[in-house]
Amino acid sequence: MSTDNQALLQVTDLHKHFPIREGLLIERKVGEVRAVDGVSFDVRAGETLSLVGESGSGKSTTGFCVLQLMKPTSGSVKFEGTELTELGREEMRRMRREMQIVFQDPYSSLDPRMTVGDIVGEPLVVHGIGTRRDRAARIRDLLDVVGFNPSFTNRYPHEFSGGQRQRIGIARALALSPKLIVCDEPVSALDVSIQAQILNLLKDLQQDFGLTYLFIAHDLAVVRGMSDRIAVMNQGRLVEMGPAEEVYTNPQEDYTKALLSAVPIPDPRAMKERKELRRKLRSALAEG
Amino acid sequence: MALLDVTDLRTHFFTREGTVRAVDGVSFSVEKGKTLGIVGESGCGKSVTALSIMGLIPKPPAKIVSGSVLYDGRDLTTLSERQLEDVRAREIAMIFQDPMTSLNPTLTIGTQITETIRRHYDVSQKQANKKAIELLEKVRIPRAPERLSDYPHRFSGGMRQRVMIAIALSCDPKLLIADEPTTALDVTVQASVLDLLDDLRHEYDMSMIIITHDMGVVAEAADDIVVMYAGQVVEHASTLELFDNPEHPYTEALLGALPQLEGANVRQGRLTAIPGRPPDLINPPEACRFGPRCRYAGSDDCTVNEPQLREIRRGHWVRSAHPASERSGSRVPEQVG
Amino acid sequence: MIIDPREAPTPTIAGDVVSPDGTGSAGAPLRQSNLWRDAWRRYIRNRAALAAGVVFILMLLFVIVWPIISPYDPNEIDFSARSQPPSLEHPFGTDTFGRDLMTRAAVGGRVSIGIGFAATIAILLIGVTYGSISGFVGGRLDNGMMRVLDALYGLPYLPFAIIVTQIFGNVTFWTMVVALSIVSWFTTARIVRGQVITLKENDYIRAARAVGARWHRVLGRHVLPNTLGVLIIAIFLELPGVILGEAILSFIGLGISPPDASWGQMANEGRAAYRTSPHIIAVPSIMIATLILSANFIADGLRDALDPRTRET
Repeated sequence: MSTDNQALLQVTDLHKHFPIREGLLIERKVGEVRAVDGVSFDVRAGETLSLVGESGSGKSTTGFCVLQLMKPTSGSVKFEGTELTELGREEMRRMRREMQIVFQDPYSSLDPRMTVGDIVGEPLVVHGIGTRRDRAARIRDLLDVVGFNPSFTNRYPHEFSGGQRQRIGIARALALSPKLIVCDEPVSALDVSIQAQILNLLKDLQQDFGLTYLFIAHDLAVVRGMSDRIAVMNQGRLVEMGPAEEVYTNPQEDYTKALLSAVPIPDPRAMKERKELRRKLRSALAEG
Repeated sequence: MALLDVTDLRTHFFTREGTVRAVDGVSFSVEKGKTLGIVGESGCGKSVTALSIMGLIPKPPAKIVSGSVLYDGRDLTTLSERQLEDVRAREIAMIFQDPMTSLNPTLTIGTQITETIRRHYDVSQKQANKKAIELLEKVRIPRAPERLSDYPHRFSGGMRQRVMIAIALSCDPKLLIADEPTTALDVTVQASVLDLLDDLRHEYDMSMIIITHDMGVVAEAADDIVVMYAGQVVEHASTLELFDNPEHPYTEALLGALPQLEGANVRQGRLTAIPGRPPDLINPPEACRFGPRCRYAGSDDCTVNEPQLREIRRGHWVRSAHPASERSGSRVPEQVG
Repeated sequence: MIIDPREAPTPTIAGDVVSPDGTGSAGAPLRQSNLWRDAWRRYIRNRAALAAGVVFILMLLFVIVWPIISPYDPNEIDFSARSQPPSLEHPFGTDTFGRDLMTRAAVGGRVSIGIGFAATIAILLIGVTYGSISGFVGGRLDNGMMRVLDALYGLPYLPFAIIVTQIFGNVTFWTMVVALSIVSWFTTARIVRGQVITLKENDYIRAARAVGARWHRVLGRHVLPNTLGVLIIAIFLELPGVILGEAILSFIGLGISPPDASWGQMANEGRAAYRTSPHIIAVPSIMIATLILSANFIADGLRDALDPRTRET
């Protein structure tokens, strides 16, 4: 890693609070949910940083705030040195060409009334890139690259399976040749055998296109093969962060340890051991 | 003697596009006091199997076209709806996948528990409430008496799942069917729910069927495992035997496709993907249903005839023309790509 | 209980090819179907809705075609043929002025249905605009707009419509349209707002923003087209209300001035003679009732046909 390899993405003290409002006629703020509570991390060009946590940990919210799809309550998000939170609407629009997102739910992330071709081509249309013919060619290339048969551009999303839809979503994310892609639990909604296909695809694309990933997931096993570095989140805060190998083999924090030990592994003997351990813990707690 | 004996169960959905053969010849049995795990991916028919046992499939468009479900000597497929209602909860109970939507949001959980009790037992509301509190304590919900009058939205996902378990146990069933009980829950909560189920199973001397797509869950919770694919059973063995010596190419591929915390796969960072997709259940192939995706499929029997389920070793059944132990060469499948 | 939609079998079309490199399914789509065709098929399976649809179309044909081919002039007075019950010459009979009721019913239908459709379209335009802005922008603006709507709901429907017509002075086709639409758009606005809010939850809306689409593209290209289903149903829900509204206003004499017919007007004219010649008031009443009933059944059938399940595999 060269010393002038400035981080592609720099997140500093990011906060996202959701107010809880109550009241009959006029709503007053009675409290707030601190979904993201002071999160800081860097992502270097070409690497994959995985943001791992359980539901409610704030990981997806962090991803959205980084892309300014949600306005952060406070904090700084710098992309290639540019402060995103201070950009005007048009400037942010232009910045979006550099950073894209793949969503979790293959069923709600594609507009059911648009054809596959239109969906993948929308980024190009929105930014006025190329002629219609150029765009058609690019769409075909993109679909090809994600392993989706390009002759089906006139079909609708509902005609395809979850895995195929995710491919469409990935093609869309690649359309503008971004540098950074936020993958928001891209395989959580897929079957195991399809997960493997998509994860392999993402890895290949990263290599072929020099992409940087902010990979959000709840399953530590899934990110194992994907990550260079891992950041563990719990209740809006970063609990532990470090190189992947380190975090997996030598977790420092209790929460990380608990998370790692809770991941089910397809090994009956190991699982039975764990069960015994938990049982002993429970009876120890009951007595003590 | 088996508590539940499912023999050649076939449940078909009659739709305009054709007859979907969702469950197409499934057989297994559940012994008293044991847990059977049914494992498979979306569309394999595992949930429909469970619903067929309970008689909860929507008829129409679904229908159990053949096969028997022997529970305690009686064939459940021949019972009337009224008779089935007597069986449900009292003999066989079921907990469903999504705790967010499986509880009625407009009724307190106390009501939901007691209405089940009072359906099957002739007790007063007061007695039913008492039992409900006991049950909530059994499923380790703190401050049970206060929470009886709470509505579902005041409970977290894990706790709602426990409430469902409490409802399921309320009438002392002999068999509990858990359909993806941990799928919607966080990892850390999963373990505690599985532990709870295990403890309760021992305490109530129940048998259990646990349906899941998660191999890790069955590794922990099941004594025996049935692997389903495209509406059929493709492998059936005890848990240790299945993981130590998987025979069916699908089982092997499934295990290979699993992202793992440690193991050979991990260092490369590349998972063994299974190409293609499960077959169309309206027109399943005449031959082996896994054939098109199988790397061992040859120009032989499996492309023409459907392999039958056979006992390859004692207690280990497989439906394949190319089970692992009959292949020449190394048992470890070659990596793709 | 829920059967996981992913568990629902996903048929493939013949010839699904596994890509040679084995890494993925460059496969064919699962189901070659058209959302609209599916909906159409579901609609015509509903007998009541189908019958209602046929009746509705027949009525439309009647009011459009009959005045052209009818031998009678709707306003032609003929005292010699007064108040005749239905006969071969006058299938609906004649009114107290000897005018052929069938022709008047058709002409009146043009007015009533015309007002109905015009007002409904106006309602849709206002309602969609209000509801989609409120739902799309959300937050305080949404709150405020909904409070205003709540207040408007409190206005008494008919008196308000009457006031509006009086403001215009002369009650014509278009003043009726304006008056009726002004007091009827609230429910549509609310329905559209609800739909927009639901749609906003979908990731594809976020995806459009992530890609850099400006708000008007998101609204016009992603949100509104997906409210189409709701809008079509709204048409057939609002139509009866408007037609009835016009009929009532005309019935109490505050509608379109005679001799122009509308069904309500005809009913008003038949009121005095209902004991001796009930057919005079019966004809327009039956017309109104039939149209309203068929519109309701159509709306019902549409709602079932456009079931959200069509959105998923």
